[in-house]
Amino acid sequence: MLRLLSSIYKEFLVLIRDRAGLAILFLMPLVLILIMTLIQDATFKSVKDANISMILVNNDRDSLGEAIRKGLIESDFFEIVEEFDGVKITEEMAKEAVAQGKFKIGIVIPERATEAIRGNVNALINKSFKTFDIPGVKKRTKKSTVNIIIYIDPATSYSFKNSVMSSLKEFTSQLEIKMFFKNFSLALAEMFPDQKAVEFESFETIKYQEIYASTTNSEILPNSVQHNVPAWTMFAMFFIVLPLAGNIIKERDEGSAFRLKTMPGSYVTVMFSKIFIFLVVSFLQFLLMLMVGLYILPAMGLPQLEIGPHKIALALLAISSGLAATGLGVAIGTIATTHEQSSTFGAVLIIIFAALGGIWVPIYVMPHTMRIFSQFSPLNWGLSGFYDVFLRNGDILTVLPEVLKLLLFFVIMLMIAIGYNKLHRTK
Amino acid sequence: MQENQPIIEIKHLTKIYRGSNKPAINNISLDIQPGEIYGLLGPNGAGKTTTISILCGLFDPTAGNVFIDGMDYSHSSEKIKSIIGVVPQDIALYPSLTAKENLTFFGHLYGLKGKNLRNRIDECLELFGLEKTANRKIKTYSGGMKRRINLIAGILHKPKLIFLDEPTVGVDVQSRNVILEHLRNINKEGATLIYTSHYMEEAENFCTRVAIIDEGNIITEGRPKDLIKNNKEYKDLESMFLHLTGKALRDE
Repeated sequence: MLRLLSSIYKEFLVLIRDRAGLAILFLMPLVLILIMTLIQDATFKSVKDANISMILVNNDRDSLGEAIRKGLIESDFFEIVEEFDGVKITEEMAKEAVAQGKFKIGIVIPERATEAIRGNVNALINKSFKTFDIPGVKKRTKKSTVNIIIYIDPATSYSFKNSVMSSLKEFTSQLEIKMFFKNFSLALAEMFPDQKAVEFESFETIKYQEIYASTTNSEILPNSVQHNVPAWTMFAMFFIVLPLAGNIIKERDEGSAFRLKTMPGSYVTVMFSKIFIFLVVSFLQFLLMLMVGLYILPAMGLPQLEIGPHKIALALLAISSGLAATGLGVAIGTIATTHEQSSTFGAVLIIIFAALGGIWVPIYVMPHTMRIFSQFSPLNWGLSGFYDVFLRNGDILTVLPEVLKLLLFFVIMLMIAIGYNKLHRTK
Repeated sequence: MQENQPIIEIKHLTKIYRGSNKPAINNISLDIQPGEIYGLLGPNGAGKTTTISILCGLFDPTAGNVFIDGMDYSHSSEKIKSIIGVVPQDIALYPSLTAKENLTFFGHLYGLKGKNLRNRIDECLELFGLEKTANRKIKTYSGGMKRRINLIAGILHKPKLIFLDEPTVGVDVQSRNVILEHLRNINKEGATLIYTSHYMEEAENFCTRVAIIDEGNIITEGRPKDLIKNNKEYKDLESMFLHLTGKALRDE
């Protein structure tokens, strides 16, 4: 016991005297989580806060142009620009401004667009009533296409372009429907002049109600903080692999490992003390990240992290994730022969695990094959567990599969390290 | 231990590293008696470090047996490790820890504790003239001071058998004298020393017996004085060493 305690104390001293190492362990994850959460939240907010400028060249000056203009302004997504220094923007000017990257999108509504739509609606109504030869109803059959031109900056993201297109399509089809019913009503009035005109009120036949599914009564609303804090916490916790592997290699390079291996029972004791100290560090990292989510992010105007009621499940996840990370660190530190090898291999491996684990791109949008691979990422297991607790009010039983997978990963990594050491004895 | 039982018994020891077709040690046999200062001498790559590594229990041999105080590593690894002390060629200490912190840690691993450990640390530090710098971090030490503290870490638990891999390499004359003088005292108190060095003059004066190894084989073995006496053409151990191992440059 004295050997273990002394080893733990030695690891503690080595760790606290390595200021650069401490910065990597605590400061870097802190900076990472703040930046990533702020960036992702800012992206979300920028759309909501009408920070995206868009050119609108409304040559129609009738119902369609006005509907699109009004819709865009009311959506709160965009800031509409129609003039440059008091001069009305032309199509050429809009095209040039977007091509230069000054604006993401420029919409040009052609002249007499409303009239063309109105004509199309009437043509449709006439086609419907063509079997009736009703005197007085005007015969309008000519159809024409309205070309709304949208200039897009090539650097614009695909999803942003799609959301703008969807909004535009929604505004135009709403207008078409309104016009159809209005003119249909007028046609009916012409067919049956004795009858009172039918008024078609605008009525939403389909309503959308968003409810976040939960098996419990309490509801936790997902937001950028709920998603980012656990994701980047997992990422940061796994970066412990680098200092831990570095610590093992340094000990070997400096010769202390040689001495330790010639001492009774000490090498195993020293390895366990390293695992213990780095497990404590990873748990402290986890607590630090929680504090950031609970206090620092709200102070910066972001939503507060909701950690749910199952704190023990959370602690279990944090400990098993920390063990998985330290196990990986021990395996890499044992197998790698140089510091460069361990830092490069370790960093790339964590990034691959993070990518597969859904830290950057959610797993559900990944191709089927990648979704199969993602099941093998320990970051995915940890993240799924944290989402269970943070977003679905999961308890110990809910996170048990993830906890067991992480613990199994830890055991496998230790076995690899022990096996490699044994192999090395008979090299 | 039986009377007259060698403290180290090496029988037909061979080590061939994986991927190599040349043995690093080739069928060597050797007995070392308790109380000896035994020198393993040889050029770079001769097989000294491999031999010491096997004797310390770091590697398994490809063939042959090693008995330390009558025990072998496959059955009594922990017992053997508790009676040996190792002073590696590298400064095997934690640079960010002070001398006292390093020694306390290694002392605890050897099972020393409390007042006994504190007294032993103070005694050793005083013996090697490091008592005033005991609370300084190792990374601030000079080369000679590092060598001395590296040595203390290997003898703190008063081992019966001490392996010294070039303990005086790269130190000034003063530090070398202090180290060798204290090693002689430790030997007089009963410890057996297994010593490697490139300094032939030092080995000649320090060792009770030497073995010159080259390419994994023991070329000659005996008391330094006898070896020189029996080979009149050599004026000292160094000239014999150069004759036996050749003057060509060696790399590891």
